[in-house]
Amino acid sequence: MDRSIQKNGVVNFTVALVIFLAGFAVTVFAGSLAGQAAAVFLGLSVLVTFVSWFQMRLEENERLEKLELDELARSRGASLFEAKDAGSFPARNAREQFEKYFVPGFAVLLLLLEAGGACLLWYWSGKNPAALKDAGATKALSLFAIFALLLFLFGRFSVTMARLENHRLLRPGASFLLAGAYVCAFTALGIAGVEAKYPDADLWAARALCVLLGLLAVENLLTLLLEIYRPRVKGKVVRPLYESRVAGLLAQPESLFTTAAQTLDYQFGFKVSETWFFQACKQNLPVLLLAQLAVLLLSTTVFFVDAGEQAVLEHFGKNAGVYGPGAHVKLPWPADQIYRFRTEQIQSFAVGYTPDAQSEAASLVLWTVPHAKEENFLVGNRAPSTVGEAGTNDAASTKPVGLITVSIPVQFQITNIIDWVYNNTAPDEFLTSLATREVVRYFAGSDLNDVLSHGRLEAATALRDRIQAAANDRRLGAKIVFVGLQDIHPPTGSDVAKTYENVVGAGETRLAKILEAEAAAIRTNKLADAQAFTVTNVADANRVRVVTAAYARAALFTNQIPAYAAAPSVYRQRLYLQNFAAATKNARKYILLVTNTQDVIIYDLEDKIRTDLENLNLTNSP
Amino acid sequence: MKKNALTIIIAAVLLVIFALLLFTFQVRQSEVVVVSTFLKPTDTITNAGLYVKWPWPVQSINRFDQRVQTFEDKFSETYLADQSILLASVYVGWRISDAKAFFPKFPGGSVLEAQRKLENMLRSAKLAVVGKHNLSEFVNSDPTQLKFNEIEQEIKSSVDAELAKNNYGISLEFLGIKRIGLPESVTQSVFDRMKAERTKYITEAQSDGEAQAAKIKSAADRQAADLVADATADATRIQGAGEAEAAKMLGVFQQNPQLAVFELQLDALKNSMNQKSTLIFDERWSPFSLFQNMPANGAIK
Repeated sequence: MDRSIQKNGVVNFTVALVIFLAGFAVTVFAGSLAGQAAAVFLGLSVLVTFVSWFQMRLEENERLEKLELDELARSRGASLFEAKDAGSFPARNAREQFEKYFVPGFAVLLLLLEAGGACLLWYWSGKNPAALKDAGATKALSLFAIFALLLFLFGRFSVTMARLENHRLLRPGASFLLAGAYVCAFTALGIAGVEAKYPDADLWAARALCVLLGLLAVENLLTLLLEIYRPRVKGKVVRPLYESRVAGLLAQPESLFTTAAQTLDYQFGFKVSETWFFQACKQNLPVLLLAQLAVLLLSTTVFFVDAGEQAVLEHFGKNAGVYGPGAHVKLPWPADQIYRFRTEQIQSFAVGYTPDAQSEAASLVLWTVPHAKEENFLVGNRAPSTVGEAGTNDAASTKPVGLITVSIPVQFQITNIIDWVYNNTAPDEFLTSLATREVVRYFAGSDLNDVLSHGRLEAATALRDRIQAAANDRRLGAKIVFVGLQDIHPPTGSDVAKTYENVVGAGETRLAKILEAEAAAIRTNKLADAQAFTVTNVADANRVRVVTAAYARAALFTNQIPAYAAAPSVYRQRLYLQNFAAATKNARKYILLVTNTQDVIIYDLEDKIRTDLENLNLTNSP
Repeated sequence: MKKNALTIIIAAVLLVIFALLLFTFQVRQSEVVVVSTFLKPTDTITNAGLYVKWPWPVQSINRFDQRVQTFEDKFSETYLADQSILLASVYVGWRISDAKAFFPKFPGGSVLEAQRKLENMLRSAKLAVVGKHNLSEFVNSDPTQLKFNEIEQEIKSSVDAELAKNNYGISLEFLGIKRIGLPESVTQSVFDRMKAERTKYITEAQSDGEAQAAKIKSAADRQAADLVADATADATRIQGAGEAEAAKMLGVFQQNPQLAVFELQLDALKNSMNQKSTLIFDERWSPFSLFQNMPANGAIK
């Protein structure tokens, strides 16, 4: 290998490294999104130029080793150096190991860097669409233009050298350098776009470079997959796996067909590029492109309006009519352009809350549980306040105001597409503002308790009328289809809503207490009634008993008189003894047979006191 | 030869496209375009259509949207005339009424910059006007006391005057109060008051329930007592009637008062004896007199 080629490889690597570091610094300084993508691309260039230079060195070592061995063989005879084992050719062995293991590994690393870079940059640019700093934009623009120029000069030189000397290892780095030049120029264009008051230019340039990185990744992946099935032809020079055809094409777009032909030839192992089809395509490319362009333009002369849609046709920017569903013809772009709107679709927005998927999916809606991101609206409060303003530092809290949470979905249709399109830049946002104003105003002039109770339906109707009137007044071209007070309640925060629920609970408790008392009253009255009935009945029974007994006694006495008259003492004694026996039947009796009347007999007739009562400790109370 | 003709055709097509791009421009119905000649605004086009211009750098065009643009200012706090505090935000609809005047006033005719300046004016006017009013003119259960329209008109007039003074090329189409609210601390106080109000209702309901329950029970007790008293009176009357009825039989006993009294004594004897009574007799007591003259071998219990 010519040593000048190796020097070229070193120069490529050095230039790529320096411009990568400078480009990275400029990107950090200016905050350019496209610059970040360019820095990633330049970083890949550094890796590719380094690896290709390293591989050049290995091949050079192998060539020198072979020369030395050939020289020794000529001077000392062939017998000493006929050994063919790997240990005899360390440089060749090193090169083979490098190509077998390191190069595929490096290709995988490149794939990961390209794919990861593309995804991360896309995500990052979406999160920070306006990262470019005004102060550094002009300097970044100039520096990227300089980087582009430098890379172009070095890249172009290397590409020419690689082509002239047909050196395959110089080609990958050269292609990356030249493509890097275009990437830097594209970055500069993006920054220039921002300077020219197109604030999204940097973002779109970054997005385009992300797509390029993605393409490189896809190409790398395909190359790795196809490498497995590629026929190995002995003596065929192997193409480095890390060489990018996309980068080569970007560097030399004029070589589109050459690159394609080389790719096909390389992959299939025969000259696809020499077939008649390939040659015909190559010769008639301008005609094919023109035909493609013509078809593209013709396709813009017909447009279809979907069901439920209306389209506004502008002829050189001037309104040329409104078209309903169906197929229509127009002049090609850019003379005629159409703008479609879904006029029959019921569109909606929310006032007072921000819907979220979780709350929409919930099957239970409670005042005390937040069910969306809700706002509080000020509302009048007619309830008398016993707290005066004097003596408090918090003046507003004593004013007749309350807070309420409402969720109001508003549905509308576009009825006049011309008014909708041409009167306001953002008619839907404007309609939301109008609706919010009417809601705020309505509740500010309403009573909290009225709105919470019987005023709901009235509120919904009044709000729809008011929003419609405001929309008509501003010629929005929209019809308010529905305004619903789907959720209206005291604020969830600080347990206000819970306190409102407790009022309802207290009402129930009050009723419960009254009902319990009524039940007790009923019981008392019924028992009293029964007691009265009993008392009266007992008295009545007694009366009957007394009267009956008196009559019976009188009858008995009347019959006893003759018996008594017949034998007064006997009858009297009989009665006495009969009654004495009956009366004293259960009594304890002591009978004294008195022989000596001088004796004194003492009877202890006291009841025995319980022993536990004897131990009772009695103290004097104060 | 054929290839050359094709090349010429392609070149001509590209040339025509390039020339059209350089020399013509479209104005949409929603746009107004300011044409600058050597960077000096020279013409304003408000009608839609296709127009011709000299290519850059001789002439350049600046497009502006002439439709109404809306934005909402910040939800900001202000002190009211009655020493209350209110947060308010307003939204405005504005349009570029004079693009030629608008264009040089803001860097590159930036709509965002114009909006920023307009917001400054709007905020200043809003705070000044809102501060002159009482809270009850913003929130009142009597809607006739609200002064939304007047306040909005005052703010708009103030901003209109400011815009007219410096000819910004902007006209304010409408203005409305979008949101009103209270600061967090005051909101908390309102919450507390609302809760206290509800607590009052809770206590009222609970006390009312207890009071009504007590009254009901008391009335029931009273009614029960009346019933029992009436019944007791009736019972006494019945008892009296029974006694009176029984007394009619007393004449029968008068036929032999000695026997009647003896029987009454016997009844009293029967009624006064119970199981715990202890009676001590001597042998002279009938019928125990039977024990007299028995062999004296000790006391018999």
